[in-house]
Amino acid sequence: MSDVVIAGYARSPFHFAYKGALAKVRPDDLAANTVLGLIERTGVKPEDIEDLLMGCAFPEGEQGFNIARLVVLLADLPLSIGGMTLNRFCGSSMSAVHYAAGQIACGAGEVFIAAGVESMSRVPMTGFNPMPNPALAEKSAAYIGMGDTAENVASKYGLSREEQEAFAVRSQQKAGEAIKKGAFKDEIVPYTLPDGTVIDSDGTPRPDTTAEALAGLKLAFDENGTVTAGTASPLTDGCAAVLVCSADYAAKNGLKVMAKIKSMAISGCAPEIMGIGPVASSQKALARADLTIDDIDIVELNEAFSSQSLASMRDLGLDEAKVNLDGGAIAIGHPLGATGARIVGKAASLLQREGKRYSLSTQCIGGGQGIATILENA
Amino acid sequence: MMTDATIKKVCVIGAGTMGAGIAAQIANAGVPVLLLDIVPKDGDNRNAIAEGAVKKMLKTDPAPFMGKRAAKLVETGNIEDDLAKVAECDWVVEAIIERLDIKQNLYAKLEEVRTPGTAVSSNTSTIPLEQLTDGRSDQFKQDFLITHFFNPPRYMRLIELVAGPMTNPTTLEMVRDFVDRKLGKTPVDAEDSPGFIANRVGTFWIQQAVNSAFDLGVSVEEADEIGGKPMGVPKTGIFGLIDLIGIDLMPHLMKSLTSTLPAEDWYQKIARSEKLIEDMIAEGYTGRKGKGGFYKLEKGADGSRTKMAKDLQSGEYRKAARPGLVRGSAAKGDLAKLISTKGKVGEYAWAVLGPTLSYAASIVPEATATIVGVDDAMKLGYNWKFGPFEMIDKIGAAKLVERLEAGNMPVPEILKMAGDRSFYRIENGKRQYLGTDGEYHDIVRPDGVLLLEDIKLASEPLMANGSAALWDVGDGVVALEFTGKMNALDEQVMKLIQKAIALVKKDYKALVVYNEGPNFSAGANLGLAMFALNIAAWSEVEKLVKGGQDAYKALKYAPFPVVSAPFGMTLGGGCEICLNSDAIQAHAETYIGLVETGVGIVPGWGGCGEMLTRWEENPRQPKGPMPAVSKAFEIISTATVAKSATEAKELGFLRKDDGVTMNRDRLLHDAKQRALAMVDGYDAPKKPEYHLPGPTGKAALMLAVESFRKRGIATPHDEVVAGELATVLTGGDTDITQVLSEADLLKLEREAFMRLVRNPNSQARVEHMLETGKPLRN
Repeated sequence: MSDVVIAGYARSPFHFAYKGALAKVRPDDLAANTVLGLIERTGVKPEDIEDLLMGCAFPEGEQGFNIARLVVLLADLPLSIGGMTLNRFCGSSMSAVHYAAGQIACGAGEVFIAAGVESMSRVPMTGFNPMPNPALAEKSAAYIGMGDTAENVASKYGLSREEQEAFAVRSQQKAGEAIKKGAFKDEIVPYTLPDGTVIDSDGTPRPDTTAEALAGLKLAFDENGTVTAGTASPLTDGCAAVLVCSADYAAKNGLKVMAKIKSMAISGCAPEIMGIGPVASSQKALARADLTIDDIDIVELNEAFSSQSLASMRDLGLDEAKVNLDGGAIAIGHPLGATGARIVGKAASLLQREGKRYSLSTQCIGGGQGIATILENA
Repeated sequence: MMTDATIKKVCVIGAGTMGAGIAAQIANAGVPVLLLDIVPKDGDNRNAIAEGAVKKMLKTDPAPFMGKRAAKLVETGNIEDDLAKVAECDWVVEAIIERLDIKQNLYAKLEEVRTPGTAVSSNTSTIPLEQLTDGRSDQFKQDFLITHFFNPPRYMRLIELVAGPMTNPTTLEMVRDFVDRKLGKTPVDAEDSPGFIANRVGTFWIQQAVNSAFDLGVSVEEADEIGGKPMGVPKTGIFGLIDLIGIDLMPHLMKSLTSTLPAEDWYQKIARSEKLIEDMIAEGYTGRKGKGGFYKLEKGADGSRTKMAKDLQSGEYRKAARPGLVRGSAAKGDLAKLISTKGKVGEYAWAVLGPTLSYAASIVPEATATIVGVDDAMKLGYNWKFGPFEMIDKIGAAKLVERLEAGNMPVPEILKMAGDRSFYRIENGKRQYLGTDGEYHDIVRPDGVLLLEDIKLASEPLMANGSAALWDVGDGVVALEFTGKMNALDEQVMKLIQKAIALVKKDYKALVVYNEGPNFSAGANLGLAMFALNIAAWSEVEKLVKGGQDAYKALKYAPFPVVSAPFGMTLGGGCEICLNSDAIQAHAETYIGLVETGVGIVPGWGGCGEMLTRWEENPRQPKGPMPAVSKAFEIISTATVAKSATEAKELGFLRKDDGVTMNRDRLLHDAKQRALAMVDGYDAPKKPEYHLPGPTGKAALMLAVESFRKRGIATPHDEVVAGELATVLTGGDTDITQVLSEADLLKLEREAFMRLVRNPNSQARVEHMLETGKPLRN
């Protein structure tokens, strides 16, 4: 069986929901533009693509009707390409990568686009019609707000507000440095608004954020808590996509391989502390790759919140120096369905840039799950 | 007469408090406005001053803008680059610094770029028109007038209009019509005399009141108590008012008047400054905007606030007293009694009122042609309840003359002329005023102004009880007036509604719900409700709820149009009667909301279902069972009150096609026209059907409430009340496949209401509201 490789990564600019530059952009349009950008940059032959997988956490409204297939049609891609929308909340597009890898491994296709999109401006985070099962709501924290889980993790791990804020400041600084170096230039596919304005950079990072400024923010979720808007990832509009194919196909067609997929894992945990999801999923993935955490050189850990990032790093024994070299979601943003593809693609590109061997991409998922992907430099 | 359509775009030059505020009010009227100021000395942004003014106004409270969209109608610029754009404007308002040379300079430039025939006006409060237009062409002079707004321009209803000898009457009428209908102001014609009307009398009054406090050893609290409410003056009184407008403004007012008034004017004799006040200004104690004024709030270590007052003798702050000096009828508007009260009260009251009333009487016709102009100016520009001549009538002109003479004070001609007569009288159902010719004249209302106040002079109510009355307002339209204390709603109102329906059905065409109190209605009579709760008269309470539902729904489905005309506070049951009407014609300054949760209950007179329907109708809402429910829940559970009719539309209290009237005096006329327009082919509305999510929807709403509770925004009892509201709005035990009727929803409302009134925590909220006027956050 041929190896499964990542042969390309692209994303849209990320902007704040509601007030950002992409607030008026339909998510399907944004996704079509990003997917086309990926195809152009990788040089993959569109007619060879088996399926377009689109992760989305709230696939309704403009993200409804099976947005994956609609993006194929919007982008004028060959009608032969399939389209499937996947939902695992924040893990949606990483699951898209996993699904593609599985299909390739069992010989059910050679080339897939694993993408994800979320317009948090245009489809609210609970969907338009939240209708929880009252009995389940009564007996479990299934529907708990994400901010509350961040507070729970913070108190369980004894994480002070200052620690969380220091982590957030570092994330913002790293993103700031990355912007200065032009580190996002290659991954961003510019989007042109109807009035001709070209959006080609992120609107989310605040590199000048200071600990003092963060200390002045109001508590966002619990009047006796520690979590603020400054230590949470912002509501974001964005899209990300990676090209997943067999190593054989890449070699035959001269595609530039970035990394091969070494192992993957899903795990579950209690919904009220969903933020520690990365711990068990990463451990499973490490075991499947026959590696230890010390073998990992590059980590992309989705920063849903400072508290869950710090807790996960602590339990995994992660060295922060390896984590989120260009900043994480607190600075860059977290368009729910798009994040998984972003941190897999980003890890692959960092392996290339830094000349390292193994990377781990992992994230927590609302409802109590974790997901992880280990890549090896090709 | 020109129509208001003539002015389609306005330019305001000068983005200070007044200019920016005037621009905002023009934008509030839906008219595009160009706001220009000078180019700042520093920085790259040449429009920074005008832009900054708009930004600042978006954060100002009370808000100059009625809604965010209005701000987008203000285009900003600067005088150097953008003055040529005035060519597109039909009216240019100048509101720049009060310096003649700078104003003249600007007019010279304006003359080059403006389109001849467009109106140009100055908002000057001190410079005579004659000097302003000196050196300008005849055409410019024909187009020029003074439009003197009051601060804040959105909220103060007075505008003084001063035309020069050359001002074209067509131009004057065009501006008059626009400021009246579009900006909602009441224009009062003033002569080109110093300080015009309101500030001339107002400055004299303030000076006299301050002087007298120092001279008679009256404290600031005493002065404000005697000179405030008993005289029909806002409760800030004199010193509280000076704190509000800024103590540092006083020397400027004094200087401008002393430099323009003739030497023999009475004001010249009383104008003086106090060392204590000069020191306060020098030290930054300029009033509310500064470190404090005659009053200030001192924060204690425990976060408590103590009101402090300045001692006029020692100059020190001390705890503010509540003297409680004015008692009996003197406290309730009996001015004759007030000024003849023995001791400090009568002495100070006379020291203020005697000279002020005499002075006010002396400026007719020098400052304005009639006594009505003076009274309107003081009522609308200084929020006095009575104008000076109305006050004189309360005392009696002859008695006032007698006392002035005894005190060796000037007695103006008009007072002598009045003799034993009153300045106002009712003759043949019409209010008349005494003219300078010694004859009485009808007070003539402008076209499109219809007041219940006038109707009442000429007719008797069709029906009335202790809480409401019905009036024939002409053309087959009946007005339902609330008459209880604070226009509170009770069983009597509901009974009269039922009678009104039978009456209108038989003999009339339409009904408007309207009154002329300070507010439309603050809702149900809580005092009465509390009494019923105290004696656990549950069936009585339920009867009241059911009676209200029945009356409002009977109104809704009556076979004739019903139009509600809210203004000011329109809360709770007051809001619900509007929601149950065919249409709403609201005054722009309508503060409408369902505030029941504040007293621990839910809307019980159909407000829940009506809000659901309104949000379901909104085409911009996503489909499905939850969006309308969530919106209604959010608005009602937080007791959200719209801060303008514009905001009321955004919140769904008003429908998109409901009307908004800018001028309060035109509200009844507009509501009546609205109702009459619906008469032909009128069909009562169809009964709504509700597809509600039931317990699953409630679960979603309660998740949100829980997070509010964690954030410390919702209290424990808020959660209980919100739970009941959620039950009503989600349809109780219904299922998404079921259809609920309006009656089902009314029943849910009633049941939730009855459960809550039995809850001691809700009762504590009602009691607290009655005692303090503020919601209890338990």
